[in-house]
Amino acid sequence: MSIDTEWLDYDVLVVGSGGAGSHAARAASEAGAKVLVLSKDPIGCSDTKISEGIATVRQCSADDDSEQTLSENLRMAGADLPLSKITDAFATDSIDAYDQYRINGLRPPIDAERQTPQALPLPMGGHNRRRSVGHANSGIAFGHASCDAVIANGGIDYLEDNWFIDLVKAPADDNHPAGEVIGGISYDAARGCLVAIRAPSVIIAAGGLSTLYFPKTDTMRGNTGDSYAIAARAGAELVDMEQVQFLPFCLTSPPSYEGLLCGEPVTASFLGVLRDNNGKVILDGVYLRTRAECSAAIMRAVEDGRGSPNGGAWLDMTANKTPPRSGPYFMKFLQTALPSAYRNARQAMGKAAARCDDAWEVRPGAHYHMGGIRVDENGAGVAGSGDGETKSGVSGLYAAGQAMGGLFGANRLGSTSLTEVAVFGSRAGIAAARHAQSTSVSDHLKDLFDSAIHNTGTHFGKPGKTSAAKLRQELQQASWRTIGPLRSADKLAEFAADIERWQTELNDVPIPAYGSWNQSFIDFQELRNMLDTASAVCAAALQRDCSVGGHVRLDGKDVSLFSTPYSTVVHRTAHGAFDSRRTLRTRTPIKRALTYKVQEKHARLKASLLRLMPATLQDKHLEKRYRAIMGASGATAMMPGGTEAATADAGNV
Amino acid sequence: MNVTIVTHRDGDENEVAFNYQKREENERPMVLDVLLQAQLDSIPDLAFRYGCRARNCGVCTVDINGKPRIACRARAREGDRISAVATLPIAGDLVARRDGIARQLQGKLAGLPRHNDLNVEAPDDYHALTACIECYACLDNCPMHARNFDGTTPAQISDKASLPDPANGYRWGNPFSLLKIQRYRLDPLTTDQGQKAGIELANSLGLDACTSCPGCKCGVGIDLKRKVIKPLLQDSGLESPAKN
Ligand SMILES: Cc1cc2nc3c(=O)[nH]c(=O)nc-3n(C[C@H](O)[C@H](O)[C@H](O)COP(=O)(O)OP(=O)(O)OC[C@H]3O[C@@H](n4cnc5c(N)ncnc54)[C@H](O)[C@@H]3O)c2cc1C
Ligand code: SF4
Ligand code: SF4
Ligand code: FES
Repeated sequence: MSIDTEWLDYDVLVVGSGGAGSHAARAASEAGAKVLVLSKDPIGCSDTKISEGIATVRQCSADDDSEQTLSENLRMAGADLPLSKITDAFATDSIDAYDQYRINGLRPPIDAERQTPQALPLPMGGHNRRRSVGHANSGIAFGHASCDAVIANGGIDYLEDNWFIDLVKAPADDNHPAGEVIGGISYDAARGCLVAIRAPSVIIAAGGLSTLYFPKTDTMRGNTGDSYAIAARAGAELVDMEQVQFLPFCLTSPPSYEGLLCGEPVTASFLGVLRDNNGKVILDGVYLRTRAECSAAIMRAVEDGRGSPNGGAWLDMTANKTPPRSGPYFMKFLQTALPSAYRNARQAMGKAAARCDDAWEVRPGAHYHMGGIRVDENGAGVAGSGDGETKSGVSGLYAAGQAMGGLFGANRLGSTSLTEVAVFGSRAGIAAARHAQSTSVSDHLKDLFDSAIHNTGTHFGKPGKTSAAKLRQELQQASWRTIGPLRSADKLAEFAADIERWQTELNDVPIPAYGSWNQSFIDFQELRNMLDTASAVCAAALQRDCSVGGHVRLDGKDVSLFSTPYSTVVHRTAHGAFDSRRTLRTRTPIKRALTYKVQEKHARLKASLLRLMPATLQDKHLEKRYRAIMGASGATAMMPGGTEAATADAGNV
Repeated sequence: MNVTIVTHRDGDENEVAFNYQKREENERPMVLDVLLQAQLDSIPDLAFRYGCRARNCGVCTVDINGKPRIACRARAREGDRISAVATLPIAGDLVARRDGIARQLQGKLAGLPRHNDLNVEAPDDYHALTACIECYACLDNCPMHARNFDGTTPAQISDKASLPDPANGYRWGNPFSLLKIQRYRLDPLTTDQGQKAGIELANSLGLDACTSCPGCKCGVGIDLKRKVIKPLLQDSGLESPAKN
């Protein structure tokens, strides 16, 4: 073995430095723990930083936005898959957790009258209240907050360019039926060494899996499923792994822009519709639909041979912009509601599309993963039947942010994740610090580390002929076809067989012996995680044989309102395959669910009537509505530093 | 389209020619597209950073013909020479070690008293500085940053062992660090004591270098001269307000 190992001791190890990781680190440190943050990307560079920067703040527009209202909203949107104690925790902590961003420098616009952050003019798709807050500079402002929490505010140690490889665990005993975390091994690419970290608590906050679908995704490259694969290899259970969220409106071309976000359902505003390649409307009332509904409509048209040239559909917003009175308001709304999405659209599709003279070619893109590590409301790993028990889970393992499951179930509402990462990052940080105070890693467990170090080290200097980049591309293309927005038992079975073959080919990826920034070793580890994660998604997708939320089965029915909801649970067996099962969830009382459905239907009916109104009347009516939500002057926009002056991306557009 | 990619492996530098195949007839690829294709078709273990492909994450900066550019939003041109940024030490291929920059601020403004009214709006300039994506394009030609490397760049120092260890944080500052300090100072929650601490930190990082410098340039168009350097110089007394 040619690579050195550095040994470190901490109370709490946090993997990831996005929103979840930075909140976890701060909370654990404030609770008195000695904390180390590891991040494979530079500190703070994460989905959190590249997001649209819209966060859910309960009660920012209405006093009647109670904890119960919000918690129920999440559960119903998630088709009853979310656990109520987890959605309750979200609703209870959301205001304070959001304020932690503010303590770290996030400065939202303020509603002077209410003395709260200022809510966006329209509720985001699926929310039953106006409670989404936008920020100048979008996610970049959250990136600064993450970074400042870890770096500038002190008291936390961190290492970047540092890939966490695997957890190290003490074997199961009577008190720890699923074993006990004692730390982990990471690869420090910048310094060219392995790091063995002894820590009784490890928080996985390493983000999602959307890179499985690259380039049909708008997320960061690093979303290679590390969270799920690492936890599963350590024996943790994963929940709702089939629930991948595809955003309906991502770009299809030119290639440099493929997959990037260009809008949300709400972007379509009052009169926007989706059309197939023959011009036929395939979805109306788009602004009232969930992301999952829009994505499914597009992909069903594609499957049916009516897709647009690049395998998507047409988002037609012309009707919004033509009316003389309301048109200008719509344009202002479009430009300011999601500024960076609009910037992507303008640069990629050109001026006519930016003016909405032309329809936008859109295709779903992987955006978020609702499933994840199975945890309790404090982010501690759970296992077993029902909602799972903490004492049956891997002791000392915590998860937060996109890494965890159980909060959103079948569908995540827009703007909830930035709040999620604050709520559960903080909760996991506190719980992990407490756990560490009552536990220590004993010296006689050094052997366990030694073998983990040995296993990792043997990869350096390994011959082989397979290109990791090619293998990755093959996996990505197959993932889109099989575990993408449209699935079937046949496709999934074929994919499962392919994964087995790729697992073997992975061992033929050559890795040179040098320690410093060994890209082959990095690619190998990430691909290994992608394969394990793909395997978990595939097993869960086979288990769920009907369509619900982000999981659409071509060969299955839509789930009915009257059936008992269930979540899928998968775990990795000794042979590396994934076993799956179902665990029942509580159904929302039929009466509540029906009321909800009726409200939804009512809103859609109103939207259809609006479209049928005579043109001048419609125009006047819409002008009034825009004025009511945006003010007479239209919403004020704040854009990142002017593109005109940018030296580093000179020569663009 | 033909380009040259400069690789660094285990201490060896190599120039590798690569011919980019357009994917659409009228494609005008970004430099990042070129790197992705090179990795797929000819240099399987080519190391480079990227994240968002949309000029948000700030990690993909490379030198193109010797000038720092954000790879995901810089169009590639025939004959381009793509190399790691010259202003930071190289970890591998096109990957520069960035860690010494932010590390110099670690814990430096911690523990100072803060105002506690969170419901205050920040001034426009605060948001203008928050637009910084941390791409480090501004290190180019910064005499203050160059002090870390005997007035030149790490690329020009042949004895690599004599380079300062980035893991400790660089001794001398740079436009990014000054931006972070000034942003902190513009935050309405910062107290007078924090204002002072900010100036002291800027001074200790070598703010005096800015008095004789034509000024810095930001990769995403933030007006660093007016919004960062000028106010810091004024408040530190290094430059009298009248002079401007
Ligand atoms: C374009 C876009 C727009 C969005 N807009 C919004 C929005 O407006 N509102 C909203 O609420 N949500 C939004 N989201 C979703 C939201 O941004 C993410 O769900 C959330 O930021 C996830 O945070 P996280 O901390 O869980 O993960 P991330 O922020 O992705 O952080 C993951 C961290 O883990 C590190 N990491 C990964 N693997 C390893 C490893 N093996 N070793 C060490 N470190 C590792 C990474 O380097 C990174 O630091 C958006 C997402 C995208 C992509
Ligand atoms: S100040 Fe500008 S150039 Fe410097 S790091 Fe920030 S965005 Fe990049
Ligand atoms: S003005 Fe100061 S920070 Fe900017 S380039 Fe010159 S020395 Fe560097
Ligand atoms: S890849 Fe994120 S800025 Fe270029």
